[in-house]
Amino acid sequence: MELQLNRACLQLGQQAFGPFDFTIKAGERVAILGKSGAGKSTIIRFIAREYRIKSGLILMNGSSMDQYSSAQLSRIRGVLPQNTQIVFGLMTDLVIELGRVSAPNKVNQERIVMQAAQMACAGHLLGRPFNTLSGGEQARIHLARVFAQLWDVCDGLILVDEPVAALDPGLQHQLLASIDHFASERNHAVLAVLHDINHAMDFERLLLVEHGRIIQDCRADHHALGDLEHLYGIQLEHLHNSQGGSVLIPVR
Amino acid sequence: MGMLAFLIAVNLGAVNIRHSDWMQVFTEHNRYEGASYVLWNIRIPRALLAIAVGAALGIAGALAQSLFRNPLADPGLLGVSAGASCSVAIAIVILDGFRFISSEELRIWTIPLFAFLGAMAVCFCLDYVARVVSPGSIAGLLLTGIALNALAGAAIGLCTYLANDEQLRSFTFWTLGSLASAQWMMVGVLIGTLLMAWVWIRTLLQDLNTLTLGENIANHLGVDVLQLRTKVIILVAILSGLAVAWCGMIGFIGLMAPNLVRICLGSDQKRVLPYSAGVGAILLLIADTIARTIAIPAEVPVGIFTALLGGPLFLILLRQYRSRLD
Repeated sequence: MELQLNRACLQLGQQAFGPFDFTIKAGERVAILGKSGAGKSTIIRFIAREYRIKSGLILMNGSSMDQYSSAQLSRIRGVLPQNTQIVFGLMTDLVIELGRVSAPNKVNQERIVMQAAQMACAGHLLGRPFNTLSGGEQARIHLARVFAQLWDVCDGLILVDEPVAALDPGLQHQLLASIDHFASERNHAVLAVLHDINHAMDFERLLLVEHGRIIQDCRADHHALGDLEHLYGIQLEHLHNSQGGSVLIPVR
Repeated sequence: MGMLAFLIAVNLGAVNIRHSDWMQVFTEHNRYEGASYVLWNIRIPRALLAIAVGAALGIAGALAQSLFRNPLADPGLLGVSAGASCSVAIAIVILDGFRFISSEELRIWTIPLFAFLGAMAVCFCLDYVARVVSPGSIAGLLLTGIALNALAGAAIGLCTYLANDEQLRSFTFWTLGSLASAQWMMVGVLIGTLLMAWVWIRTLLQDLNTLTLGENIANHLGVDVLQLRTKVIILVAILSGLAVAWCGMIGFIGLMAPNLVRICLGSDQKRVLPYSAGVGAILLLIADTIARTIAIPAEVPVGIFTALLGGPLFLILLRQYRSRLD
């Protein structure tokens, strides 16, 4: 899998986004950071074909995204959107199973649903009506749905928009680890919008977004400190935790 | 339950049906006299028509609700029934009920044809708006439906104003809905269409489920939402157009049957659609049986009883299962 953006521009009403130029290779894990309203989610959404770009190209494995049918695309690309509402009360099992609606191979459906739910820390939520779950639990079911969608494929792409915003710290860590585990097992690339700088530090690469364009494309390590300070307009300090890992914390 | 309702419905009425009349219907070379004539040429087709129309309305309602992701959507809300009604009003008032067509045989096809054309016209109008005016927006489509409803209402109002006494009565009766004109031909056409529609719908059930998650997610999951929407619109037009055609506006079933099913069995479309057909069929059959037996030999418009029957039932279930609603 290779996702390539070639001077892709987007116009939403008065607001212009781009041009965007970047490439994501198979298995790569990229975090998008930026202030609220900078256009982070917009990037995810036009790569997910929710918006049509005005000019430029988005190439998936070398051919234009427009040439793919929805079904073809769904076999290599999963999307976890920010917040979603389900109008009618579906059961959680069915929501996860819907991830496999265009899968050509329908065998082992139940096993995949179960394993995907377990991987997303949602095994205990099966068999319950979706709408009775809390926000964090709903997020886990949606994550399980994305897992089920890309369960039996390799070299795919997962687009996630603030996957852990509604969760408590323990679960945040657990879920990011399971996304990571799921993706690396299958060599899926991950492109994630994140709020927490330290979560982003667990990724390989950072895209820093400001005013609808990418101002920095860099490795995710403490060398990005200066750019992050500039991006958020705060001062950061680089510390080591007891396991020797890097932690960035804001200085008051 | 359905079978029982059918048997009761067929046996009740102005003319008493005896066991021997049943036997006579199923013996060869019978001449259909007296009660067995009533049974074979009036009661049975009427009951079957009620079942078919109820099922068609139930399915059309369930499809519209899943398409618009709104439990209140039904062909009535979208202006489909109003479109059909409007074109029938024009047929009855402006074209004077096709009095110029001399043959009675042909004339019974004109009202249904116009109803069907009206429903189709509204559906294509909705589809055009959905593609060109406000692409991808279900709210836009819903608002268009409301606007079309208003337009059709205005046209109906104008026709009513222009109509003479007889035309007015004939149109009003059609509007209230009646299954009195049931014939085997109508039953055949409706049941045939229902079966064909069902074969088609079966392939769409899981895609309709993804639509519940939202259009964007359905697209991400590989469902071609634009195509799915067109298919559903055509199905709704065919089913509600045909249902409205011979029996007029029978309100409430398209709205109620799917919601009853959803309250009791959950919102999985694989269940909602078939059970809506069943519930719609039984409701209409019971309502029609009451409508034609309560004031023998007179007949009360069936629309009154679908509402009388469905309303309280709906409220009771709503109270009992309100937690499952959302």
